[in-house]
Amino acid sequence: MAVTAPLNETQVIANLGMSADPSAQYYAAWWLGKMRSRHPEAVPLLLKTLKALEQTPVDQDRRGVALNAIRALGRLGNPAARNPLCELLNSTDYTMREEAARSLGRLRDPAAVPGIRRLIESGTAVAGGEQTGSPLLQEPCEALIEALGDIGLCSAETLAAIRPFANHPRPLIRAAAYRALLQLTGDSSWGVQLIELLKHPEALVRRGALLDLGATGWTGAGSAICAAAVEPSLKLVALRSLAEHSEDPQVLRAMDALI
Amino acid sequence: MATAELTAAFARLNRATSTAELVQATQAIASLQDPEAAETLIKVLGFNNPAVANVATEGLIRLGCAVVPKLLVNLDARNYGARAWVVKVLATLRDPRGLELLEHALQADIAPSVRRAATRGLAELDLNNSRDADALRRCCDGLLLAGRDDEWVVRYAAAFGLERRLQHSNVSGSMTDQALALLRQLSSSSEDVKVVRLRAQLALQRLNAE
Repeated sequence: MAVTAPLNETQVIANLGMSADPSAQYYAAWWLGKMRSRHPEAVPLLLKTLKALEQTPVDQDRRGVALNAIRALGRLGNPAARNPLCELLNSTDYTMREEAARSLGRLRDPAAVPGIRRLIESGTAVAGGEQTGSPLLQEPCEALIEALGDIGLCSAETLAAIRPFANHPRPLIRAAAYRALLQLTGDSSWGVQLIELLKHPEALVRRGALLDLGATGWTGAGSAICAAAVEPSLKLVALRSLAEHSEDPQVLRAMDALI
Repeated sequence: MATAELTAAFARLNRATSTAELVQATQAIASLQDPEAAETLIKVLGFNNPAVANVATEGLIRLGCAVVPKLLVNLDARNYGARAWVVKVLATLRDPRGLELLEHALQADIAPSVRRAATRGLAELDLNNSRDADALRRCCDGLLLAGRDDEWVVRYAAAFGLERRLQHSNVSGSMTDQALALLRQLSSSSEDVKVVRLRAQLALQRLNAE
């Protein structure tokens, strides 16, 4: 529960404009996204913070502000953010590409699909290959594939780009592919694959698969979500998503049993 | 004095290293349904392992209201996960001795999962006799507070809880008015989270108060 007085939106907008104080900007960018601000200055000011990424070298404080701005732009759902976010898919900074993809997934704008898809078209060996000396893959495949599924524009090209990742060696990448393929095709056999991952020995994989099932809105997953060896809080998050997609009162009943 | 079976089961728990072994050892302890196992089962709640904690929680619930005083004493204030499970056990046992702890958890706990479980407890504590009018008022006050929580899941639990109290308890007229007003607010567009609106609408439907 809030222990401090709530910040006022006008103040937050003013803080976001103060480029001399990146820590105030950092918090302001987060706040606007969290509060789903409708202030007319919010999106223009958030977009302005992205300019800092064009300089070499990028100032690390301003990079942090820009990351929060990218996340906020995803939450605010303003179509003006689409082109600037699509441009960030070309960034040499892996995290920028990852966060831009997540926010584009939230915007659900079909025009972003070709740019996102292009980054995974080189397949599991290239885009999905490991970077040397790093746990990261060459591309933020999980975020990119999830974004394609969330946007929900099904085409032969998109399916062909995602399908190889259903055989990726990493279970969370496979989960992202199953999730997107279920969202795009409605074919429940992908959901069955996700349910299989709920039995994975690693809790991290079980949690990921659980949230992926929720995101698909596929009500066939309800009982498997309830039965999974995952903490109730996460089951509730997954079921919330299921309930909001399906509006099925059965899902509310399952949630009542978990609270 | 613990029985030989319980002592053996404790030893098995101490030797366990994997989740599967911990779950089996905890199941073995829980299946004995021995009140002496309560402290150990409470300790297991703090292992930060949901599969194991779930088994221990069920074991404690099976031991019944006799574990309530031990739960109140052994609550580990520093372990969020453990606290959530303890509040869950108290909420499930519906023992009125848990009221103060549940009220406190709802008002002061920073973990939404703990406030959520506390809200459920306030909805379901057994308060059947008329002497409990004050406790019922406190439960309803708690549910009204939960309905204004920052976290959606606590507001969801409040909608569930207000429905239950209005359906099954002898709630005073003015409290009923406040509860219905809150449910109407949670079902309206002033509530951001769709699933909370859906749950509050369902509550109003079941109460024939749309």
